[in-house]
Amino acid sequence: MGVRREKAERLADEELMPLVGEKDPEAFEVLYDRHGGVAYSLAYRIVGERSTAEEVTQEAFISIWRSGARFDPTRGSVRSWMLSVVRNRAIDALRSKAGKAPKLTLDDDSILEQRPAEELTEEQAIRHETASEVRGALGHLPGEQSKVIELAYFGGFSQSEIARMLGLPLGTVKGRMRLGLEKIRGELAEGLA
Amino acid sequence: MNGADHERHWSDDVAAYLLGALEPEEAAELEAHIEGCERCRSRLRWLAPAIRSLPESVERVEPPRELRERLMEEVRVDARAAEAAATASDRARPRPPGWARRLRLGWRPLAGLAALALVAVAVAGYEIGSEDSGGGPTMTVVAGHAPGVTAKMVGEGDGGTLRLAHVRPLPQGRVLQAWVRRDGEVEAVPALFVPDRTGHASTTIADMQGVDTVMVTTEPSGGSRAPTSAPLVTMSIPQ
Repeated sequence: MGVRREKAERLADEELMPLVGEKDPEAFEVLYDRHGGVAYSLAYRIVGERSTAEEVTQEAFISIWRSGARFDPTRGSVRSWMLSVVRNRAIDALRSKAGKAPKLTLDDDSILEQRPAEELTEEQAIRHETASEVRGALGHLPGEQSKVIELAYFGGFSQSEIARMLGLPLGTVKGRMRLGLEKIRGELAEGLA
Repeated sequence: MNGADHERHWSDDVAAYLLGALEPEEAAELEAHIEGCERCRSRLRWLAPAIRSLPESVERVEPPRELRERLMEEVRVDARAAEAAATASDRARPRPPGWARRLRLGWRPLAGLAALALVAVAVAGYEIGSEDSGGGPTMTVVAGHAPGVTAKMVGEGDGGTLRLAHVRPLPQGRVLQAWVRRDGEVEAVPALFVPDRTGHASTTIADMQGVDTVMVTTEPSGGSRAPTSAPLVTMSIPQ
C-alpha cells in the first residue's frame, strides 16, 4: 500500500472530495472502497440485474470522479450525494430499458419486483422470496406505506403513476408517502435520542 | 391560506417531492412555493434524513472485484490524461505557428498544433503522427480512454474520421454515438455506428472547427439527444 493511499484512508469523505476534484485516483479509490458496496447494492435493488447494476455503478462513479468539484457539502454528506447519483443513474437505466416506464399490472408484488426484459434468474428468485422481509426503516412501516415509498424511490414512479397502478385516489398515495416518511424520520430521531 | 389548508396542500407534496415522485411541473410549483415558505423549508429539512436512510435499507450485494478494477483503470487513465494534457498545454504555448505548417497538418494549423501537443494518452500506447490518405495532408491522433480501446482521429479538411479499434461487442439495442464539444456545448454527431466483428468502428465528423473534445458513448438504438452513458473514449483537442 502506497503512502498516498495510507494518507487518503485517514481522511474524512469531505476531505477527500477536494482531492478528487484535483484528479487524485487514490482519494477516489478510498471513496469507492467506502461506499461502492452500498452503491452497487442500491443499483442492483433498482435495476434488478447484475450486469446493468455494474454498468450503472461504473457510470455513476465515473460521473462522480469527473464532477467531484460540484459536490456541495452544505447539502448533505458525500455518501448521500454519491448514492443520489447512483439512484438517478439506475432509474434512468430502468426507464431506458423499459422504453419509458415499466408496464404496470395490478399485482403489487409483481410491480415491485418487475424488471424490464429480464428473465427471473435464480438470484432474482431468491431476492423475490426475501423481498417482504424486514429491512431497515422501511421494514417497520405498514405495507401500504412502504409499498408507495418503494415504488417511488426504487421504482422511479411518480405519485400519479402509483395511484393508477394501485387503483387508489391520488390523495391516498400522497398521504401514505407522507405518513411513511414521517414514521421513518421519527424512528431516526428516536435512534439519535 | 390558513394552517390546515397549508398542511393539506403542501405537506403531502413535500414528501412526494423528496421521493422524486412529483411530475416536473408539480415539482416546479412546489419549489416556487418553498422559496417563500419557511414552514415548508423546515419540513423539507426535517424529512430529508428519512430519504437518505432509504438506500441504506437495501439488502447488501457484494460488487464484483472486476467492477472496481475496471473503474479504477478508467480513473487512472483519466488522471494521467489530465496530467499529460496540463503539461503539454504549458509546452504548447510558446511554439510558433510555422511549426504546425511544417508538419502539414490538415486541420486548421493552430488547432492541429494544439491537438498534436495536447492529446493525452495513458493506456496501452501513445501515438501521434501524420498520415496521407491519398488526397492530401492529414493528421492522426491516437488516444485511448477505455481499457483496450484505441481511437484514431484522421483529419481531412475541416472535418475528420474517427476510427476506433478493439471495441467490445455492444449489447443488443445499443449503438455507438460520437459527440463533439464546441464553445462549451456538446453536440451529437448525426451518424450512429457499431463495431464490426473485428472490433473496429468508424464515423465521420464533418466539422471539427472549434471542437475541443471528441468522445464516444454507447447509446440506445436511434441515438440520444445527450450522452446517457460514461464515455468509451474521450479525446481532448484544445484550440
